Amino acid sequence: MLRRELLARLSAGLGAALSLPLLIPGIAYILSPLRLRREQGGFETLTRLSELEVGKPRLFFIQQERRDAWVKYPREPVGSVWLIRQPKGANPPVVALSSECPHLGCAISLKDESKGFICHCHASAFDLSGKPENAAPPRPMDTLEVALGNDADPEIRVKFERFRTQSEEKIPLV
Amino acid sequence: MFKSLADWINDRTGYRALADQAFNEPIPGGARWRYVFGSALATVFCMQAFTGLLLMTAYSPSSSTAWGSVFYISHVMWMGWFIRGMHHFTAQAMIVLLALHVLQVLLAGAYRRPREFNWWFGMALLFVTLGFSLTGYLLPWDQKGYWATKVATNIMGGAPVIGPSLQKVFVGGVDYGNQTVTRFYGIHVGLLPPLLVACLAAHIALVRRHGHTPPQKAPATPSPAWPEQVFMNLVASVGVLSVIILVVLAHGGANLDAPADPSNGDYPARPEWYFLSLFQFLKLFPGRLEAIGTMVIPGAIVLVMLLLPLLDRILPRSFAHFLACGFVFGVLGGAGFLTVQAIRDDWDDRPFLAAREKADQARLRAIALALDPGVGVPPEGAGYLLARDPLTQGRAVLEKRCLGCHVHDGKGLGTQSASDLARFGTRDWLRGMLENPGAGSYFKHAKGCDGMMEWKRTTKLKPNELDVVADFVAGFASIPDDVEPTEWLNQKEVAEHPGLKLFQNDCGKCHVIDGLSEGGLRDAPGLFAWGSPRWFARMIRKPDALDRYGYLETSNRMPAFGTDQVSDADLNMIIRYLKDDYLKPAAAPAQAR
Repeated sequence: MLRRELLARLSAGLGAALSLPLLIPGIAYILSPLRLRREQGGFETLTRLSELEVGKPRLFFIQQERRDAWVKYPREPVGSVWLIRQPKGANPPVVALSSECPHLGCAISLKDESKGFICHCHASAFDLSGKPENAAPPRPMDTLEVALGNDADPEIRVKFERFRTQSEEKIPLV
Repeated sequence: MFKSLADWINDRTGYRALADQAFNEPIPGGARWRYVFGSALATVFCMQAFTGLLLMTAYSPSSSTAWGSVFYISHVMWMGWFIRGMHHFTAQAMIVLLALHVLQVLLAGAYRRPREFNWWFGMALLFVTLGFSLTGYLLPWDQKGYWATKVATNIMGGAPVIGPSLQKVFVGGVDYGNQTVTRFYGIHVGLLPPLLVACLAAHIALVRRHGHTPPQKAPATPSPAWPEQVFMNLVASVGVLSVIILVVLAHGGANLDAPADPSNGDYPARPEWYFLSLFQFLKLFPGRLEAIGTMVIPGAIVLVMLLLPLLDRILPRSFAHFLACGFVFGVLGGAGFLTVQAIRDDWDDRPFLAAREKADQARLRAIALALDPGVGVPPEGAGYLLARDPLTQGRAVLEKRCLGCHVHDGKGLGTQSASDLARFGTRDWLRGMLENPGAGSYFKHAKGCDGMMEWKRTTKLKPNELDVVADFVAGFASIPDDVEPTEWLNQKEVAEHPGLKLFQNDCGKCHVIDGLSEGGLRDAPGLFAWGSPRWFARMIRKPDALDRYGYLETSNRMPAFGTDQVSDADLNMIIRYLKDDYLKPAAAPAQAR
């Protein structure tokens, strides 16, 4: 009986020795994406100040080089932002709002007659400053960092980032 | 608590009876080590299913993406090298275990009545496994898989009557490409696994029906498999797993050759080791006899194997057993001999070793390029990885098209009749040339190009002034493609460069630059944007133009290379190679892992 007991226990150990060497690397393999860090892009030049009218949002594409797993893509549109020129004397003179809805990541478009923004997925509505107008979005539209040149008609440069959806805080995705 | 939950589940499912059935199979004559092969094979199959599923989550079956995704698994994903290495080497372990299992069954006489069907299902499993090998090999779409598959499918195409059509169906056309990958992938992950499971289920059910075949002197009473036989089976499986892990660690995972390149002329294609005997066997039947080596004899061996259980019907039982064992050992011995011969043939085959060395360099270069954050696999596919690498492609085209007359770092492939192209277009090259234009690396061998030598005899420029001129002219290489001479001359750093006047008064007597110098003393090439991509491109496309070397006698001129000889892409590769514009090889080459 003792022999049977011993063999049974040894067999259990061997079963573990058989499965764990594959199971553990297998789990690590599946969890690979957790180890990756998103490349943080710098500022991208989008347009010049004179191209924008005060209070009238315009959509601009963000062009970046991109690596999708093994493929390296040349510069191409990877996202878009709404630029809104503020009235004279305001700081900052231009506001950049990400077109990605903070609710569940759909694309935000302009309402009819440019009176605000709307996301067509779940009807998140925002005013022209990006403030929510209903309870669908968890937070205002995400503002992006804007840098202006020093000349009379400065270039508008925006730092493109993406943020976690469904959160009341604005948390950058890394 | 736990027990009552287990009872509850058992009450509804009856899992204990199932487990009892699974583990307490009666073993005739008691537990034995010789019975472990079948279960070790089942274990190995489960390992393949597990690692295979993991690989499926990251593999992308198409001729443009397969290599990149396998590269990504092996070199970027966490433990990817290990998972892929396990899949690769477990496949080989499966072949070894199959051979051992067949031998054990044969020696024990377990293939005979009433176990004929068990033997046939076993044979079916053997062929399904070989099918896995043949289809899996191609999937990385690297050089190794590409060429090995090409050979294997061409052998299939040699079959009488249906061969060519069969090959076309398997390959998905005449050329190897996307359809080949998707078809092989479909067979590998969709068709063969259920086939294997079905055959395995039938095989195991028959083992249960007939029981193991005990040795003659074994005790008559059977004993349950649990725990003794189960323990032995587990020991064997863990032993097999340990060996595979050691092999994977020793190799640092599975090899990934450079991306498949149908244009590569000297890839040393070899099958996996377990097909080497067939590969060698083929060599014994040259020319029209080849089908005997590829089809007739292997087919006959398979047929005899299938008929072995029926041998008892016409011959005395023990004599038939002896013949069967003799036959299989004979085949295995012959295969072993051929395998050793194939390895030895390659061992001292210098061209083969040189080609393998070259293939390894291409492999390491491809991996280094794919790993580099600035390079990576191009969107068009891994096939363009090396074709867009100036160090690989630029150098190759340079060797083929230019080094018949030019040399590079003193090395050429013909009789030198033109300058050394290493560092051409740089300040180094220029300063050296201004010092001694008649040297071997400059115009010594170039017939009719003695203008600079004549200048050297008469010029009054001092070494420090030559430095300044070299600085000035070396800057030409960075003139952008869209800048005209007058725009360039209006730039402040050009207009105020101390070399400008020296160039105008000395070099400008022969070399014409619009708005700066008028030449006239002797014929000489135009130097505007010298060393820039556009200067190179025009020199290669139109060396006989008036602003290049059109003034030389026809026989002394460089031949023009049109797009039919050097494509625009290749032209760009040559230029980038000469301008040192490429990813530098690291001191320590990238290794798997």
